[in-house]
Amino acid sequence: MSILSELADLPGVICAGEYSYRGDRFSYKGHMNDEQARQASIMCRATTMSVHMQSGILSNFCDQCGLFPNKGWIVKGPQFTVCVMANVFCFINESEGSLNQVFEIMRERLFEIPDDLV
Amino acid sequence: MPNLDQLMTLPGALAAFEFSDKGELLNSKLSEGSNLNETALDLLSHVCVANTSIATMQARGWENMTGDQGFYPVQGFSMIGLDWTTVTHGQFGVVMENDKADLEAAYSALA
Amino acid sequence: MIKRLLAVDGVLVVCQFRDDGAFIEGFGMLDEEQMASLAMFAHDYKRIVQGNADQLSMFTQMKGWTPPGGWVVHGQSMSVCSIANLVCLVNPSEASITEVMQEMKELSTW
Repeated sequence: MSILSELADLPGVICAGEYSYRGDRFSYKGHMNDEQARQASIMCRATTMSVHMQSGILSNFCDQCGLFPNKGWIVKGPQFTVCVMANVFCFINESEGSLNQVFEIMRERLFEIPDDLV
Repeated sequence: MPNLDQLMTLPGALAAFEFSDKGELLNSKLSEGSNLNETALDLLSHVCVANTSIATMQARGWENMTGDQGFYPVQGFSMIGLDWTTVTHGQFGVVMENDKADLEAAYSALA
Repeated sequence: MIKRLLAVDGVLVVCQFRDDGAFIEGFGMLDEEQMASLAMFAHDYKRIVQGNADQLSMFTQMKGWTPPGGWVVHGQSMSVCSIANLVCLVNPSEASITEVMQEMKELSTW
């Protein structure tokens, strides 16, 4: 089962998507239309680029910094949370799903992906 | 309001910190043996403030474009590293070991 | 060629980097390791500015933001500015940022 299908089947997950680091492709599963998934990919890719750089800078100031290399990020809103790992994003309605569950599955499936394409 | 001692009781907590709205480190607590330091936490605070601002812009833009409400105001930003994750909200944050981290508990403690 | 940017008032360092951020060459008052760091920072920052410009364009539905022409960050006594794959460290009290940007733009098309 693909990671997108697996995530999209979890309770509370509105949509799971994947974007290329180059910014030229995206795919998704769940309740979004093509344009929304494209916009979500643009936003998530932009933040991933920023966080990647910030993690590199942080690593200069702490030995064996466990925040480096960056593996992802999360933004929480009042109703929805966005969790991103590697080049995969997941929109979660937290009243119906569990961020911890999504995080664990993304961690199992995506943590080992090398970041040399970022 | 969260306090640093309380945040340090979260599973796997390595550091708890408070920062100004500009991202300057105000107070911090480190667990024994943590290799974090005040310089790194100050930088991390700036990282969290910067990303919360960007996320706020994105939440605003997304809500305007799609009509979907529920992303704004941003109530937390997390940075996930190889071994640690930091969770921040408002002017407080906590760094936790990934193997022990409970993100939902961290967000609740920071709310 | 990029060395001629050092002749512009206030320019302290100029570096050129590849599309993947690798340092190509640099001139001025930093050592090579520092220049390589500056080049990597400029590369990363360029991508962030591109990402933000994409979002601004998307959210405002206005043309003209992308592709971004370059960026400038002003510190208290130092500024960094970049166009294309060039980056300069500048003392703003001695420099005209407009002149530096124009010179970089011209050089970036060579």
